[in-house]
Amino acid sequence: MKKEKCNDCKATLTDSQVLEFCKNGYMLFKGVVPEEINRKTTHYCEQDDYYEPTRILDEDWFIDNVILNRKVAGAVRSLLGQDFHLPILMSNHRMKAPYPQQNWHVDGNFDFGHELNYLQVFYYPQDTPLEMGPTQILPGSHLVHNKAKFMAHLGGIAGTMSATAPAGSIFITAYQIWHRRGRATAEGMRNMLKYFYWRTTPPVRDWIVEDDFDFATVEYESPTDQLVEQFRGSVKVAKMFLWLCGEYEKFQNLGGQSWPLPAHRNDTPYGFPEGLPRPKKTSEQ
Amino acid sequence: MNEKQNKITKMLATKLEAGTLTVDEFRRGIDALIPHAKEKLQDILYLQSNNTSLQGEVIGMTMIEDGELSEGPPNPKDWPYKTVLEAVCAGWRIISFPNMALLAVSESDPHGLGFEFILERIKDR
Repeated sequence: MKKEKCNDCKATLTDSQVLEFCKNGYMLFKGVVPEEINRKTTHYCEQDDYYEPTRILDEDWFIDNVILNRKVAGAVRSLLGQDFHLPILMSNHRMKAPYPQQNWHVDGNFDFGHELNYLQVFYYPQDTPLEMGPTQILPGSHLVHNKAKFMAHLGGIAGTMSATAPAGSIFITAYQIWHRRGRATAEGMRNMLKYFYWRTTPPVRDWIVEDDFDFATVEYESPTDQLVEQFRGSVKVAKMFLWLCGEYEKFQNLGGQSWPLPAHRNDTPYGFPEGLPRPKKTSEQ
Repeated sequence: MNEKQNKITKMLATKLEAGTLTVDEFRRGIDALIPHAKEKLQDILYLQSNNTSLQGEVIGMTMIEDGELSEGPPNPKDWPYKTVLEAVCAGWRIISFPNMALLAVSESDPHGLGFEFILERIKDR
């Protein structure tokens, strides 16, 4: 019987890693899929070169090693909660290099905001160095609202990250992150499988809790601070993190130098929401 | 004035001084001096800055030069212009300033990549 949800995946991310995801909007796992599976996947994609080789999701070897890959599924479980829904469609952005770069875009049917109810995931079954046109993303842009048709004239953007990675790498992204296919200068075939996981349960902080993680003093700064008004990036990141913790209703921003702005303070930040967890030693002081 | 225009002007002046300039030669000379659209090429430069100042830091660029699209070297440190002012000083003319309607958008509305200046440079083909 086909498995629809993952109800036995263990959350593997820590507080700090979840916060980093909120800041960057992506997480890259290099070389986590065994070489044998990469070869099988590449072979499968040669046989089924349709742009949606969805039947690969019927293959146990693919489900076990890619879709439910322990490290990746652990991260997905951390971000989307228990019983997250497994992919039902497989896309393959199969391209014969060389080719030019794509326009910057956000994929359709996006929703910008602090909620994280689904993840878009990319899997490279072959080595994908710069010459093979890896996906480029703009870290933090999942919190900067834009529309694909207004982005077509954009070119070089400071802060762009090229997801160069060895075979067997998987990276997970917030769906609305700005991205594009990079320019490939080498020759060869690039497969890039793309699929989706969904949340089915309300968000809760049930990943690996760090004893010394302090909501009051951690840095919420976003890599896209240069694109938005000063400190708005920190506010957006804090909102997203609190939402993932299931604490969004406690969020408040009292303006000026109050929490969650980055600062060197002499006490608990003014406006720090009551009831948010603090490390034991801090709350005992 | 370019080399070709200088040559035409010199020829007209020489003939005028010598009293040998005909009306027909004068008309053809003037016609040759006037730039014709088909002989000109517009280069375009999009620069996205982090604020509305000409001295703000450039955070994005796209250049269309001789009909070829370029987005500069991969490392922003190697981009040809670090500010819009540098591009202006290099001969680019601003044809569009950042849209002040951005002031009115809320955080949840699209606000694109920074503050966009569009510049042009007209060149002879």
